[in-house]
Amino acid sequence: MIPVRYNVRSLAVRKTTTIATAAGIGLVVFVLASSLMLAAGVRKTLGLSGRRDVALVMRKGSDAELGSSIEDPQVGLLGSLSGVRRGPRGALVSGEVIVVAAMEKLGASGVSNVQLRGMTEQSHELRPQFKLVSGRLPRAGADEVLVGQRLRGRFRGLDLDGSFDLRKNRPVKVVGFFSDGGSSYESEVWVDLDVLRTSYRREGFVSSVRVQLESEGKFDGFQALVERDKRLGLQAMREATYFEKQSEGTSLFITVMGSVVSVFFALGAMIGAMITMYAAVASRQREIGTLRALGFSRSAVLGSFLLESVLLATAGGVMGAAASVAMGTVHFSMINYASWSEVVFRFEPTAAILGQSVGFAAVMGLVGGLLPAVRAARIAPAVAMRG
Amino acid sequence: MTAPMINLRQVSKSYDRGGETLKVLQALDFEVASGSFEALMGPSGSGKSTLLNLIAGLDRPTAGTIEVAGTRIDTLGEGALAKWRANTLGFIFQAYNLIPVLTAVENVELPLLLAPVASRERRRRAETALRVVGLEDRSLHYPRQLSGGQEQRVAIARAIVNDPTLLVADEPTGDLDRASADDVLRLLETLNKELKKTIIMVTHDPVAAERATVVRRLDKGSLA
Ligand SMILES: Nc1ncnc2c1ncn2[C@@H]1O[C@H](COP(=O)(O)OP(=O)(O)O)[C@@H](O)[C@H]1O
Ligand SMILES: [Mg+2]
Repeated sequence: MIPVRYNVRSLAVRKTTTIATAAGIGLVVFVLASSLMLAAGVRKTLGLSGRRDVALVMRKGSDAELGSSIEDPQVGLLGSLSGVRRGPRGALVSGEVIVVAAMEKLGASGVSNVQLRGMTEQSHELRPQFKLVSGRLPRAGADEVLVGQRLRGRFRGLDLDGSFDLRKNRPVKVVGFFSDGGSSYESEVWVDLDVLRTSYRREGFVSSVRVQLESEGKFDGFQALVERDKRLGLQAMREATYFEKQSEGTSLFITVMGSVVSVFFALGAMIGAMITMYAAVASRQREIGTLRALGFSRSAVLGSFLLESVLLATAGGVMGAAASVAMGTVHFSMINYASWSEVVFRFEPTAAILGQSVGFAAVMGLVGGLLPAVRAARIAPAVAMRG
Repeated sequence: MTAPMINLRQVSKSYDRGGETLKVLQALDFEVASGSFEALMGPSGSGKSTLLNLIAGLDRPTAGTIEVAGTRIDTLGEGALAKWRANTLGFIFQAYNLIPVLTAVENVELPLLLAPVASRERRRRAETALRVVGLEDRSLHYPRQLSGGQEQRVAIARAIVNDPTLLVADEPTGDLDRASADDVLRLLETLNKELKKTIIMVTHDPVAAERATVVRRLDKGSLA
């Protein structure tokens, strides 16, 4: 076999071309890895939001909380069904209102939607990961809000003791920030239910009802009870299922987008690798002829040049993957199409994603290097004799 | 009488050049005895390199048979021919043809990569070959750090490292100054006399030819 250091040093000698080609491949890997990481981040963030022992009840036919509407009396009725856990203050049931408000972004021009959630006293009990990270809880009925920590500093007014207009001329004050174990709730603003309902003229209605079940296993029975009564016109699903569905759509969208963009970029980068390798073969004809004259076979030459191309691409891939790991520290906000509001996600680097991305680079090197390697293998040993 | 090292019978070689056929060698008979040091002279374009390529199995004849070191090579397949070259031949090129990104000792090791030799033993044999050409202290130098004469001596070390029976040299002193050329020629003479290598060398240099035991002239494709 032709020694690997022959390829490594040949790449090192053509420093500029090597770096430029590897950078092209690195860019593709960066885009691919980043989008896979983002899709993983979406799955993780939304996956953390839902619980299997909580039933989410919405108007039949609604895909999302935002488009659902349930009358107040039905909330009480849901709480009386069997399978619902009871606490010191009665059934653990929380009818919540979701609205979306356009808010002014900081550090970027324009506005974006933020999801506001009208909360009840039971709301926190249904979210055991909830933690106040700074400030205090709002007083019941006061014009005070609690803000998810991922929104901090991203919108005008979303700072401790800052204020913003819930509705025109209806200012509310930020009194605290909360975390929820990294879930998508951290991208919401929590308001007292009645404050939100009066300012949006939604008295008498909630968007959805969360019901804490006695156990995971009680769900099927609960769902049957809810959906049997056609007059109610309600549907129940596990909260976890609800968020999984949301994340499926969004993460699929990101994965597909990322893959499509990567494939187009990859074609370009592969052609780049091919041109680079063709140039390498052309300028090393006499070397190749010499190797053949010394007795190295065609397949040894083929393998050597394929290896060189794969090394080149893999180096680029490692660079791109390393750069994408740096994205792990970046928070990325994007519209969750299920709620039409911004959710802040993190790029979630996993070993599998990095491995796949570097593997993709290696395949690019293999494919891009194939034709040049075949040309190299065809160089006649007699070429070594020509001056 | 022992069998000749090289035995060409009725060998022709022509090239296609834009539809025209260029007949370089025609019905050539050519023998080189084992253990001899032959110089091949002749004007430019007379077919000396072509003949050498055929002997070395780098190219195939249009017609005729070629036997070298007891093997019919004109009928060998591509892979077998490469293997045969690795085992039988050492090459010395006019332009040295060292691999620029490999050090002297790594260049010399190359032919040993084709044989089942452990890396430690490979290094040892390569260093021995460098000692034979007097460059043991340059083993870690890259070709660009060597003079032309030194490069050619490294190339000779590479040619002899796998202990071939036949050395083939195409104008080995063509790019060298007189003193370096003399070093190289002395070296070839030693390899012939002491290590019993059969050598066939193309040259334009009458001084070089004098070192050889036999001098032949090729003109317009036939031997004079
Ligand atoms: N691969 C080739 N294709 C076409 N013509 C060639 C090729 N190799 C050599 N020739 C021609 O064959 C003739 C002999 O070349 P060569 O053997 O290199 O001569 P010498 O080594 O004696 O100078 C020249 O006219 C040369 O141009
Ligand atoms: Mg010539």
